[in-house]
Amino acid sequence: MIQATQLTKHFGEKLAVAPLDLDIPEGTFFCFLGPNGAGKTTTIKMMTGLLRPSGGTVSIGGINVQEDPVAAKRCMGYVPDHPFLYDKLTGREFMRFVAGLYQIPESYYQVHCEKLLEMFEIAHVGDQLVEDYSHGMRQKLSFASCFLHDPKVVIVDEPWVGLDPKNIRFVKDFLKEKTRNEGLTVFMSTHTLSIAEEIADKIGIINQGKLLEMGTVAEIKALHENPGSLEDVFLTLTRDELAKPIS
Amino acid sequence: MNQVWAVFIAKTHMARHQIASVRHQSKLKVAVLSIAAIGLWLGALLIFHLGFRWLIHFGGQDGSEFAFGTALLRQSLSIFALSIFLLMAFSNTLVAFSTLYRSREVVYLLQGPISYTDFFYARFIESVLFSSWSLAYLGSPMMLAYAWNTNAHFIFYIAVVLFFLPFVVIPACLGTTITMVLVRYFPRMNTLTVALLGGGTLVGFFVYIRSVLKGARFSEMQTIAAIREAMDSTQSPLFPSHWAAQGIRMAGDGNYSETLFWFLLLLSTALFAIYLTGRLANRIFYPGWSYLMGQDKQRIKPMDRGPLACLNTLLRPLKEPYRSLFHKDIKLFWRDPTQWSQFIIFFGIMAIYIANIRNSTRLYETEFWRGWIACLNVGAVTLIVATLTSRFVFPLISLEGRRIWILGMAPLTFSQLMWQKFWLSVALTSFFTVGLAVLSGHILQLEPLHYAITVYSVFLSNLGLSGLAVGLGALYPTFTEDNPARIVSGMGGTLNLLSSVAFVICVVSIQVLVLQWKALDLYTGEAQFRGTVLVAMGLITALGALCTLLPMRLGLRNLNSMEL
Repeated sequence: MIQATQLTKHFGEKLAVAPLDLDIPEGTFFCFLGPNGAGKTTTIKMMTGLLRPSGGTVSIGGINVQEDPVAAKRCMGYVPDHPFLYDKLTGREFMRFVAGLYQIPESYYQVHCEKLLEMFEIAHVGDQLVEDYSHGMRQKLSFASCFLHDPKVVIVDEPWVGLDPKNIRFVKDFLKEKTRNEGLTVFMSTHTLSIAEEIADKIGIINQGKLLEMGTVAEIKALHENPGSLEDVFLTLTRDELAKPIS
Repeated sequence: MNQVWAVFIAKTHMARHQIASVRHQSKLKVAVLSIAAIGLWLGALLIFHLGFRWLIHFGGQDGSEFAFGTALLRQSLSIFALSIFLLMAFSNTLVAFSTLYRSREVVYLLQGPISYTDFFYARFIESVLFSSWSLAYLGSPMMLAYAWNTNAHFIFYIAVVLFFLPFVVIPACLGTTITMVLVRYFPRMNTLTVALLGGGTLVGFFVYIRSVLKGARFSEMQTIAAIREAMDSTQSPLFPSHWAAQGIRMAGDGNYSETLFWFLLLLSTALFAIYLTGRLANRIFYPGWSYLMGQDKQRIKPMDRGPLACLNTLLRPLKEPYRSLFHKDIKLFWRDPTQWSQFIIFFGIMAIYIANIRNSTRLYETEFWRGWIACLNVGAVTLIVATLTSRFVFPLISLEGRRIWILGMAPLTFSQLMWQKFWLSVALTSFFTVGLAVLSGHILQLEPLHYAITVYSVFLSNLGLSGLAVGLGALYPTFTEDNPARIVSGMGGTLNLLSSVAFVICVVSIQVLVLQWKALDLYTGEAQFRGTVLVAMGLITALGALCTLLPMRLGLRNLNSMEL
């Protein structure tokens, strides 16, 4: 469902993402891990078509993002870490706007908008201006709008920022259920290793622009000489002298 | 639903909510802002009306020896249209960079399935609105004054409204195209090349303006012919501004067919320009934007290198914490081009004005006119300072808001902080304005006493205006806002601007009274004149001290009583 081939990005002289190969099948919950400045957000931006790769290609659902960005974006949703929302719109007006942007038929929108607002427990504030929302509510509205057009792939950049435990649980369960029951593919960048360990089908660890390891949670954990938690493996792999194989 | 339409509808909702939010704001704030807006509009109407009437009188009315008054007024419409066209193209070049490349909304919209053409049109509408609302606000009194003075046909009013949109769209397309081409093809240019190109453009612009103004030497015998010649040099049948001016002029005469011709010419050009710019955006917007996003953002600024390295030496005589605060404020200002570019534009306009005084000296050889020009110079320079202090100095305290914990934890009092801002403002504004005052006095060859009065008034105005801006900035701070433009647009900012203008009017009025009485020979002797000058300077000093100390005291009291 998500395929990256030799995906590369340079920022001037600096190599932000070294040639990256990824193949994530449909219905997979993929967690992308890495320290700050590792290249996670740059990779995500190339996948969403926000950044043009310096080399290589990325395709979503078989559509090349660089060649046909509009069609590729139609089948994906994106939730950034600090979502941009229009403060002077109400929650419902914002959903209506997103429906227009994705050219969703009116009848479909009418049914799904309310359903999503109810599901994310923000229907009661749907007529309030977004500027009056708490951070958690904004994040929920961002998720609700992301699922309005029923995407096949969802790319999420550190979604837990500012969410309380109840909301974290809800988002986690919601995404997990969608991947299990509806074949949604989730590509999530996160620093919260415990959550990644709990819900990911596959994990990729990136540092200094290089994909160091990729595999299931069990495979990644097995890389450590004394198999322990994912945190141990992550910290060992991303040490400054990284890129050295674990003994 | 069309995506451009979806964005437009969302923006309409936002505008509606923004307007509706007025009822939750302080009644006093709304009243002050409304009165200021209406007052400014009416003031502009009066000034344009009187100015046009003077122009008709100066050029001569029907039946007199020279009957060029109305012709001059009509020509001035063409100059106005060309100036607006150039300013709109320039402002759209800047606004388009913000709306198409820098706004956070851009990232949000582009992550959706929107084509680059639709994205462009959605943002272009906003760009045009942003850059043209002030033209509608300040251009309308001018058009009304023009209609009154030329007894325009009723169709003139309809034509002004109809011509407005296509007229603003063409320079908007031009400015946006310049921005897109620059971002796409020139982002790799190094700083020196950009600085040289920018400097070259500015110098070229000033040379052009100067050549036009030179043509209008008031001191020549054939004044009106020279003015007309200068005006003609700004006209060309290839300029859309010329079509708009011609069309509106014809509408004023009630000439329907000519009006329709110019309107259709302007409209078809505007539509074609929109189409072309949209096509161009589809090709070059994304590569440029993506390159801009992907630039190496590591900017290394070694402490002892670069243009600001001399600050270490310059500020050495100051003791801490003032030295560090000055250092920080100057560096923040220098590293934000949106701030100092406006600063340069203001003083560039001022420099053109002062440099052009030379062209007027031969006509104004009498003391009467020299006195007037000296007073007007003080007015012009101090009004520019009033605008600058309102725009740049007033928000300084508010901008510390989100970082107040840094200053709050430091061994520093609010009094020290406020006086540091005050002296920073005085030092920067005096550096430019006192220099301009000295230069204009020298060009006008003022008598030593007049010279001293002019320079002293300008310096004292700097003190008063800085005191008002820092004091009222502390009295009405907006600690939750990081955007200086928004901080300024609040009640405190408006109050500061109005107080500053009132202060400038008082200073200039006192000076005018003293010098004009002398020019009209109304003093009984030199002793009385010198006594009056002393009293006048005392009044200006007292006024300056009041405008410095009172707002500073009130602002300090407010800061000290706040729970931050």
